[in-house]
Amino acid sequence: MLILHDLTPLHWALAGLGIAGVTLTLLFIGNRRLGISTGLEDICSLVLPAPYFRRSAVTSGRPWRLPLLAGLVLGGALSAVLAGGWEPIWALGLFDRAIGLGPAGKMAWMFVGGLFIGFGTRLAGGCTSGHGIFGLANFELPSLLSTLSFMAAGIATTQIIYRVVFPIVGAP
Amino acid sequence: MTLLYLLLGTVFGFILSRSGAADYDFIQGMFLFTEFQLYGILAVAVAVTAPGIWLIKRRGRTLLGRPVTIELKALHRGNIVGGVLFGVGWSLTGMCPGPILVNIGEGKLYAIAAFAGALTGAGLLGSFYSVVQRPFGLPPLKVGTGEG
Repeated sequence: MLILHDLTPLHWALAGLGIAGVTLTLLFIGNRRLGISTGLEDICSLVLPAPYFRRSAVTSGRPWRLPLLAGLVLGGALSAVLAGGWEPIWALGLFDRAIGLGPAGKMAWMFVGGLFIGFGTRLAGGCTSGHGIFGLANFELPSLLSTLSFMAAGIATTQIIYRVVFPIVGAP
Repeated sequence: MTLLYLLLGTVFGFILSRSGAADYDFIQGMFLFTEFQLYGILAVAVAVTAPGIWLIKRRGRTLLGRPVTIELKALHRGNIVGGVLFGVGWSLTGMCPGPILVNIGEGKLYAIAAFAGALTGAGLLGSFYSVVQRPFGLPPLKVGTGEG
Protein backbone atom coordinates (compact mmCIF):
# COMPACT_ATOMS: atom_id res chain seq x y z
CA MET A 1 0.00 0.00 0.00
CA LEU A 2 1.25 3.46 -0.78
CA ILE A 3 1.99 5.62 2.24
CA LEU A 4 -0.49 8.36 1.47
CA HIS A 5 -3.33 6.05 0.49
CA ASP A 6 -4.17 5.50 4.14
CA LEU A 7 -3.54 9.05 5.30
CA THR A 8 -4.82 12.53 4.80
CA PRO A 9 -1.89 14.52 3.38
CA LEU A 10 -0.55 17.51 5.27
CA HIS A 11 -2.24 20.73 4.28
CA TRP A 12 -0.26 22.39 1.48
CA ALA A 13 0.18 25.60 3.46
CA LEU A 14 1.60 23.70 6.42
CA ALA A 15 3.93 21.65 4.19
CA GLY A 16 5.12 24.77 2.38
CA LEU A 17 5.74 26.50 5.69
CA GLY A 18 7.72 23.51 6.96
CA ILE A 19 9.89 23.40 3.83
CA ALA A 20 10.54 27.14 4.14
CA GLY A 21 11.52 26.53 7.78
CA VAL A 22 14.06 23.88 6.78
CA THR A 23 15.45 26.09 3.99
CA LEU A 24 15.85 29.12 6.24
CA THR A 25 17.35 27.13 9.13
CA LEU A 26 19.89 25.70 6.71
CA LEU A 27 20.88 29.23 5.68
CA PHE A 28 20.65 30.94 9.06
CA ILE A 29 22.53 28.33 11.07
CA GLY A 30 24.61 26.48 8.49
CA ASN A 31 25.21 29.29 5.95
CA ARG A 32 24.13 26.81 3.25
CA ARG A 33 21.86 27.25 0.26
CA LEU A 34 19.37 24.42 -0.08
CA GLY A 35 20.09 22.14 -3.01
CA ILE A 36 19.57 18.42 -3.27
CA SER A 37 20.78 17.63 -6.80
CA THR A 38 24.34 18.75 -6.06
CA GLY A 39 24.26 15.89 -3.57
CA LEU A 40 24.21 13.56 -6.58
CA GLU A 41 27.61 15.00 -7.53
CA ASP A 42 28.82 14.56 -3.96
CA ILE A 43 27.98 10.86 -4.15
CA CYS A 44 29.56 10.55 -7.63
CA SER A 45 32.69 12.23 -6.26
CA LEU A 46 33.14 9.34 -3.83
CA VAL A 47 33.86 6.95 -6.72
CA LEU A 48 34.38 8.85 -10.02
CA PRO A 49 37.84 10.21 -10.85
CA ALA A 50 36.75 12.86 -13.43
CA PRO A 51 38.18 16.33 -12.71
CA TYR A 52 34.60 17.67 -12.46
CA PHE A 53 34.12 15.64 -9.29
CA ARG A 54 37.47 16.63 -7.83
CA ARG A 55 36.45 20.31 -7.61
CA SER A 56 36.48 21.73 -4.13
CA ALA A 57 32.91 23.05 -4.69
CA VAL A 58 31.83 19.42 -4.78
CA THR A 59 34.09 17.80 -2.24
CA SER A 60 33.77 20.60 0.33
CA GLY A 61 29.98 20.17 0.32
CA ARG A 62 30.10 16.51 1.27
CA PRO A 63 30.24 16.99 5.07
CA TRP A 64 26.87 18.75 5.11
CA ARG A 65 25.09 17.50 2.01
CA LEU A 66 25.61 13.79 2.59
CA PRO A 67 24.04 13.91 6.10
CA LEU A 68 21.16 15.99 4.66
CA LEU A 69 20.58 13.36 1.97
CA ALA A 70 20.77 10.54 4.52
CA GLY A 71 18.16 12.45 6.54
CA LEU A 72 15.78 12.42 3.56
CA VAL A 73 15.94 8.61 3.49
CA LEU A 74 15.45 8.51 7.25
CA GLY A 75 12.49 10.90 7.08
CA GLY A 76 10.80 8.71 4.48
CA ALA A 77 11.40 5.60 6.58
CA LEU A 78 10.08 7.32 9.71
CA SER A 79 6.98 8.42 7.82
CA ALA A 80 6.32 4.84 6.69
CA VAL A 81 6.90 3.37 10.15
CA LEU A 82 4.55 5.87 11.79
CA ALA A 83 1.98 5.34 9.03
CA GLY A 84 1.47 1.77 10.15
CA GLY A 85 4.69 -0.08 9.48
CA TRP A 86 7.53 -0.09 6.97
CA GLU A 87 7.29 -2.62 4.17
CA PRO A 88 8.74 -3.03 0.69
CA ILE A 89 6.42 -1.37 -1.85
CA TRP A 90 5.99 -2.14 -5.54
CA ALA A 91 2.64 -0.35 -5.95
CA LEU A 92 2.69 2.83 -8.05
CA GLY A 93 -0.88 4.18 -8.13
CA LEU A 94 -1.90 5.63 -11.47
CA PHE A 95 1.07 4.00 -13.22
CA ASP A 96 -0.22 0.53 -12.29
CA ARG A 97 -3.74 1.31 -13.48
CA ALA A 98 -2.80 2.94 -16.78
CA ILE A 99 0.56 1.50 -17.84
CA GLY A 100 0.77 -1.65 -15.74
CA LEU A 101 4.39 -2.77 -16.13
CA GLY A 102 5.71 -5.50 -13.82
CA PRO A 103 8.64 -5.04 -11.43
CA ALA A 104 11.34 -5.45 -14.12
CA GLY A 105 9.64 -3.03 -16.50
CA LYS A 106 9.08 -0.56 -13.68
CA MET A 107 12.75 -0.69 -12.71
CA ALA A 108 13.81 -0.04 -16.34
CA TRP A 109 11.29 2.82 -16.65
CA MET A 110 12.54 4.38 -13.42
CA PHE A 111 16.20 4.01 -14.38
CA VAL A 112 15.60 5.84 -17.66
CA GLY A 113 13.64 8.56 -15.85
CA GLY A 114 16.48 8.81 -13.35
CA LEU A 115 18.99 9.38 -16.16
CA PHE A 116 16.96 12.39 -17.29
CA ILE A 117 16.81 13.67 -13.71
CA GLY A 118 20.52 13.28 -12.98
CA PHE A 119 21.81 14.67 -16.28
CA GLY A 120 19.12 17.35 -16.51
CA THR A 121 19.41 18.76 -12.99
CA ARG A 122 23.18 18.94 -13.17
CA LEU A 123 23.10 20.56 -16.60
CA ALA A 124 20.53 23.05 -15.30
CA GLY A 125 22.54 23.68 -12.13
CA GLY A 126 19.74 22.73 -9.76
CA CYS A 127 16.42 21.02 -9.22
CA THR A 128 13.10 21.76 -7.52
CA SER A 129 14.87 22.70 -4.30
CA GLY A 130 17.91 24.68 -5.48
CA HIS A 131 16.18 26.45 -8.39
CA GLY A 132 12.48 26.07 -7.59
CA ILE A 133 12.54 27.01 -3.92
CA PHE A 134 15.81 28.74 -2.99
CA GLY A 135 16.60 30.29 -6.37
CA LEU A 136 13.11 31.67 -6.95
CA ALA A 137 12.92 32.96 -3.37
CA ASN A 138 16.28 34.69 -3.93
CA PHE A 139 15.04 36.19 -7.24
CA GLU A 140 17.70 34.54 -9.43
CA LEU A 141 17.04 34.63 -13.19
CA PRO A 142 18.67 31.23 -13.95
CA SER A 143 16.30 29.68 -11.41
CA LEU A 144 13.24 31.28 -12.98
CA LEU A 145 14.24 30.02 -16.44
CA SER A 146 15.00 26.54 -15.12
CA THR A 147 11.81 26.28 -13.06
CA LEU A 148 9.62 27.37 -15.98
CA SER A 149 11.45 24.81 -18.16
CA PHE A 150 11.05 21.82 -15.87
CA MET A 151 7.44 22.63 -15.01
CA ALA A 152 6.56 23.00 -18.71
CA ALA A 153 8.38 19.79 -19.65
CA GLY A 154 6.79 17.88 -16.77
CA ILE A 155 3.33 19.07 -17.73
CA ALA A 156 3.88 18.23 -21.41
CA THR A 157 5.28 14.75 -20.67
CA THR A 158 2.54 13.75 -18.23
CA GLN A 159 -0.18 15.13 -20.50
CA ILE A 160 1.22 13.03 -23.37
CA ILE A 161 1.54 9.90 -21.22
CA TYR A 162 -1.83 10.01 -19.47
CA ARG A 163 -4.04 11.82 -21.97
CA VAL A 164 -2.66 10.47 -25.26
CA VAL A 165 -0.58 7.28 -24.96
CA PHE A 166 -2.19 5.64 -21.91
CA PRO A 167 -5.43 7.61 -21.57
CA ILE A 168 -7.04 7.58 -18.15
CA VAL A 169 -10.70 8.08 -17.39
CA GLY A 170 -11.23 10.90 -14.91
CA ALA A 171 -8.72 12.25 -12.44
CA PRO A 172 -6.08 10.19 -10.61
CA MET B 1 26.73 20.15 12.85
CA THR B 2 26.48 16.80 11.10
CA LEU B 3 23.59 15.95 13.40
CA LEU B 4 21.84 19.22 12.55
CA TYR B 5 22.00 18.43 8.82
CA LEU B 6 20.80 14.89 9.44
CA LEU B 7 17.90 16.27 11.49
CA LEU B 8 16.99 18.92 8.91
CA GLY B 9 17.06 16.25 6.21
CA THR B 10 14.82 14.01 8.29
CA VAL B 11 12.26 16.77 8.86
CA PHE B 12 12.41 17.69 5.17
CA GLY B 13 11.99 14.04 4.17
CA PHE B 14 9.06 13.52 6.53
CA ILE B 15 7.27 16.60 5.16
CA LEU B 16 7.89 15.52 1.56
CA SER B 17 6.56 12.06 2.38
CA ARG B 18 3.39 13.24 4.12
CA SER B 19 2.50 16.14 1.85
CA GLY B 20 2.32 14.29 -1.46
CA ALA B 21 5.56 15.77 -2.82
CA ALA B 22 7.04 12.25 -2.88
CA ASP B 23 3.85 10.57 -4.10
CA TYR B 24 3.56 9.52 -7.75
CA ASP B 25 -0.16 10.28 -8.02
CA PHE B 26 0.17 13.74 -6.49
CA ILE B 27 2.98 14.61 -8.92
CA GLN B 28 0.99 13.39 -11.94
CA GLY B 29 -2.06 15.22 -10.57
CA MET B 30 -0.02 18.43 -10.51
CA PHE B 31 1.10 17.96 -14.13
CA LEU B 32 -2.46 16.98 -15.17
CA PHE B 33 -3.92 20.06 -13.43
CA THR B 34 -6.23 17.84 -11.38
CA GLU B 35 -4.49 18.40 -8.05
CA PHE B 36 -3.63 21.76 -6.48
CA GLN B 37 -1.58 20.37 -3.55
CA LEU B 38 1.94 20.64 -5.04
CA TYR B 39 1.36 24.11 -6.50
CA GLY B 40 0.21 25.25 -3.06
CA ILE B 41 3.27 23.74 -1.36
CA LEU B 42 5.74 25.34 -3.81
CA ALA B 43 4.01 28.71 -3.70
CA VAL B 44 3.94 28.87 0.11
CA ALA B 45 7.52 27.58 0.40
CA VAL B 46 8.78 30.30 -1.99
CA ALA B 47 6.54 33.04 -0.54
CA VAL B 48 7.82 32.39 3.00
CA THR B 49 11.45 31.68 2.06
CA ALA B 50 11.80 34.92 0.06
CA PRO B 51 11.29 37.40 2.94
CA GLY B 52 13.26 35.03 5.17
CA ILE B 53 16.31 35.15 2.90
CA TRP B 54 15.90 38.92 2.62
CA LEU B 55 15.94 39.28 6.40
CA ILE B 56 18.93 36.97 6.83
CA LYS B 57 20.85 38.85 4.11
CA ARG B 58 19.94 42.18 5.74
CA ARG B 59 21.27 40.89 9.06
CA GLY B 60 24.32 39.72 7.13
CA ARG B 61 25.38 37.18 9.72
CA THR B 62 24.37 33.66 10.59
CA LEU B 63 23.10 32.75 14.04
CA LEU B 64 26.69 32.10 15.10
CA GLY B 65 27.90 35.40 13.65
CA ARG B 66 29.58 34.22 10.46
CA PRO B 67 29.06 36.38 7.34
CA VAL B 68 26.24 35.05 5.19
CA THR B 69 27.49 33.99 1.77
CA ILE B 70 25.05 32.91 -0.93
CA GLU B 71 26.65 31.65 -4.10
CA LEU B 72 24.45 32.69 -7.01
CA LYS B 73 23.71 30.32 -9.84
CA ALA B 74 25.30 30.84 -13.22
CA LEU B 75 23.17 31.86 -16.20
CA HIS B 76 23.63 29.62 -19.25
CA ARG B 77 21.71 27.65 -21.88
CA GLY B 78 21.91 24.60 -19.63
CA ASN B 79 19.37 26.24 -17.27
CA ILE B 80 16.70 25.74 -19.93
CA VAL B 81 17.87 22.56 -21.70
CA GLY B 82 18.74 20.83 -18.42
CA GLY B 83 15.45 22.02 -16.94
CA VAL B 84 13.52 20.46 -19.83
CA LEU B 85 15.37 17.14 -19.46
CA PHE B 86 14.78 17.16 -15.71
CA GLY B 87 11.08 17.92 -16.23
CA VAL B 88 10.76 14.84 -18.46
CA GLY B 89 12.47 12.75 -15.78
CA TRP B 90 10.30 14.19 -13.01
CA SER B 91 7.18 13.27 -14.98
CA LEU B 92 8.41 9.76 -15.88
CA THR B 93 9.36 8.82 -12.32
CA GLY B 94 7.04 11.07 -10.32
CA MET B 95 10.11 12.04 -8.30
CA CYS B 96 12.53 14.93 -8.17
CA PRO B 97 15.93 14.38 -6.50
CA GLY B 98 14.82 14.84 -2.86
CA PRO B 99 11.77 12.59 -3.16
CA ILE B 100 13.87 9.84 -4.83
CA LEU B 101 15.62 9.47 -1.47
CA VAL B 102 12.37 9.84 0.49
CA ASN B 103 10.80 7.10 -1.63
CA ILE B 104 13.75 4.81 -0.97
CA GLY B 105 13.25 5.39 2.76
CA GLU B 106 9.53 4.68 2.45
CA GLY B 107 10.37 1.27 0.99
CA LYS B 108 9.45 1.93 -2.64
CA LEU B 109 11.82 -0.47 -4.38
CA TYR B 110 11.60 1.09 -7.85
CA ALA B 111 13.01 4.33 -6.40
CA ILE B 112 16.37 2.54 -6.11
CA ALA B 113 16.39 2.26 -9.92
CA ALA B 114 15.55 5.96 -10.23
CA PHE B 115 18.41 6.74 -7.84
CA ALA B 116 20.84 4.60 -9.84
CA GLY B 117 19.70 6.37 -13.00
CA ALA B 118 20.09 9.82 -11.43
CA LEU B 119 23.62 9.03 -10.22
CA THR B 120 24.51 7.69 -13.67
CA GLY B 121 23.09 10.83 -15.30
CA ALA B 122 24.99 13.15 -12.97
CA GLY B 123 28.11 11.02 -13.48
CA LEU B 124 27.76 11.32 -17.26
CA LEU B 125 27.42 15.10 -17.14
CA GLY B 126 30.44 15.46 -14.89
CA SER B 127 32.56 13.03 -16.90
CA PHE B 128 31.75 14.76 -20.21
CA TYR B 129 31.67 18.33 -18.89
CA SER B 130 34.30 19.51 -21.34
CA VAL B 131 32.17 18.18 -24.22
CA VAL B 132 28.90 19.89 -23.21
CA GLN B 133 30.59 23.01 -21.85
CA ARG B 134 30.84 24.98 -25.12
CA PRO B 135 27.50 24.16 -26.76
CA PHE B 136 25.63 25.05 -23.58
CA GLY B 137 27.79 28.01 -22.62
CA LEU B 138 28.56 26.48 -19.22
CA PRO B 139 30.93 28.18 -16.77
CA PRO B 140 34.54 26.97 -16.37
CA LEU B 141 34.95 23.55 -14.80
CA LYS B 142 36.10 25.10 -11.55
CA VAL B 143 32.72 26.82 -11.14
CA GLY B 144 30.42 24.12 -12.46
CA THR B 145 26.79 24.64 -13.45
CA GLY B 146 25.72 25.90 -10.04
CA GLU B 147 25.26 24.51 -6.59
CA GLY B 148 21.74 23.41 -5.78
